Amino acid sequence: MSASKEVYVRRRLEVVVGLLAIGFAILVIRAIDLQWYQSPQLRDRAEKQRQRQFAIAAPRGTIKDAKGRVLAESIEVPSISAIADEVPENRFPDLATALNMDLHRIQRKLKSQHGFTWLARQIDPARAKRVMDLHIPGVRQEMEWRRYQPLGPETGHLLGFVGVDGHGLEGLEYSLDRQLVGRQGRELVLRDARGHTLPGGVWLQKPEPGAPVKLYVDATIQSLAYAALVEGVKQQHAKSGSIVVMRPQDGAVLAMANWPSYNPNSFRKFKPSEWRNRAVTDMLEPGSALKPFTIAAALESGHWKTSSRVFCENGRFRVANYVIHDDHPEQWLNLTGILAKSSNIGAAKLATDIGPKALHHMLSLVGIGHRTGIDLSGESPGMLLPSERWGPVETATIAFGQGVAVTPLQLATAFCILANGGIHVEPKLVQGASTRPPERVMPQYIADTVRSMLKDAASPDGTGALAVPAGYRVAGKTGTAQMPDRHGGYAKGKYTAVFAGMVPADHPRLVIVVTVDQPEKSIYGGVVSAPIFRNVASAVLPYLGVAPKEQSSPSLWRSIAVADHPSDTSSAPTGTVPSLFGKSLRQARSMLASRDYQLHVHGSGWVAKQSPSPFSKLPEGGAVEVWLND
Amino acid sequence: MMLRLGIVVGLSVAAMATAQIWLAHSRYAIAHEATLARHHMEDMQADINRLGLELASLSRPERLRELAKDRLGMAPPLPGQVWRP
Repeated sequence: MSASKEVYVRRRLEVVVGLLAIGFAILVIRAIDLQWYQSPQLRDRAEKQRQRQFAIAAPRGTIKDAKGRVLAESIEVPSISAIADEVPENRFPDLATALNMDLHRIQRKLKSQHGFTWLARQIDPARAKRVMDLHIPGVRQEMEWRRYQPLGPETGHLLGFVGVDGHGLEGLEYSLDRQLVGRQGRELVLRDARGHTLPGGVWLQKPEPGAPVKLYVDATIQSLAYAALVEGVKQQHAKSGSIVVMRPQDGAVLAMANWPSYNPNSFRKFKPSEWRNRAVTDMLEPGSALKPFTIAAALESGHWKTSSRVFCENGRFRVANYVIHDDHPEQWLNLTGILAKSSNIGAAKLATDIGPKALHHMLSLVGIGHRTGIDLSGESPGMLLPSERWGPVETATIAFGQGVAVTPLQLATAFCILANGGIHVEPKLVQGASTRPPERVMPQYIADTVRSMLKDAASPDGTGALAVPAGYRVAGKTGTAQMPDRHGGYAKGKYTAVFAGMVPADHPRLVIVVTVDQPEKSIYGGVVSAPIFRNVASAVLPYLGVAPKEQSSPSLWRSIAVADHPSDTSSAPTGTVPSLFGKSLRQARSMLASRDYQLHVHGSGWVAKQSPSPFSKLPEGGAVEVWLND
Repeated sequence: MMLRLGIVVGLSVAAMATAQIWLAHSRYAIAHEATLARHHMEDMQADINRLGLELASLSRPERLRELAKDRLGMAPPLPGQVWRP
């Protein structure tokens, strides 16, 4: 090789080595740059590509009845979403057909937005499958939790409903939302370059299902109460109605229903005004159903005894510039008679005598004007004006339930006090929830006496006779109140019919309050609401294992005689029929003979029933029919 | 000597590489199975919830009343018929 060629080759080698050195140096510099200076950012990007966080929704807690039957449950259902920019426009019609949606709506949704958008939420799986089978780019299926209530309208007002975000919006679903709602979980998943999930994923936060809730409500009783209410309201062509069934011993609410109701599984189809639970949100004037508490206040004042008698002014009595009327004009009535005949004048006279403070105190003690504290939102406190604002007219009218307002639940709670011998228990729906401890608000003898009087109010001669199921005795009171109008007066021809009572009368297992708004066939609580009470009681008592008692039991009827106060019968005014309950045939004959009445007898033993009723007017020589039981 | 050592090292490297690939595939398979098992478990839980709901829906008192009345010809007991509930 010539010298010049050798130099040429060396130069070429030097150039190649130089280029290689430069290339290597560039690689080293780039490596240093990547490994040193850009390392944190690149590591982050790599981790982001390798890791992905998923949000896992947790279901709401189940709501069960007292016997463990499901009242509300969450199940996963598909929803259809889309990445708006990725959905080809020529597939819009297919999508609209599969989703059963208007094409213009689909176009509006997908053209007006970019990125993620919901197309249809919480739809049935078959429809979602039809959509996904179309394999439209950008259309996805997501799973969401949806709430179902198998009893539908029967528990609609009580349980309320849940929005698409999984939070309760009405009823117990709303008030217990914090307890029922589940905690969303987050999972960190490792993926390979192809997007496959790798082992080693970790929970950043495990999803926690909502806590289950067990109610005191019994699905069977709830269903029976709802069915009886619907039947009763429809029969009377009434506008609406409510029913509350409570266990007086512990304040457990066994059923609470309203009609018209709504289906919580499709709550959007109903007006918001139909969603409210009227048994706790709506106030009504209780009418005569408040009289037992006027009697209790009168007894507690010490001015009045059970044997005291009140002159009822033959059905018309003026207080200041206001005239009070009785539907059944009476002269003299004892306190039992005031309840049994539902005398407004008698109640007004008692209240006027004891004064507004004593009556207000009693009504306040039994919970009128105060929220009961039940686990339901929107509860009304009712209305009870301060006693300082009561004039003579207010004192008189509040005594028979006008100018005062209660919710059906308040009235049921107040009647529980009479059933419990004077002990107030807070109404409760949720098992395990803390409640105020029971508290005595009325001496036992007063509560027992009033309860005993209420038996007569629901006797065959009382206004509540239609409330009594065969084989049981009821202690209860009817009420008929005019509905208030917008102008602060009373709406003409619009009434609320009420029946509140307890059954069996001697050892109450149930307190039931029935209210019916604007009945058309009759306006009276004893005709409209009492039969609903009877239908519920006659179905629920056997279900609870409460056997009917023979009405022929002499001990049962003798106890009524004690409550009826024999002194009254002996002092019955001339021309009126004495009470013969619990008397032997000889005693009855002797008492009637002294008044020159005839006696017609059925059976043998003690007097269990008589006609005409005690204190009814009967001319000399008239016949009194009695039924005796061994 | 060097050649033998080279062959051993080469074979070892090849074996380890093969094992690494096999392990990677196993990881994919196990991860896939674990994911499927978890989905299966979630599906089963969803089925339990759905069946519970269906049971509650089928046994709701109103439906039982209708079936007893319409299909079996039963009627509510008359007043006083129930003596030993």
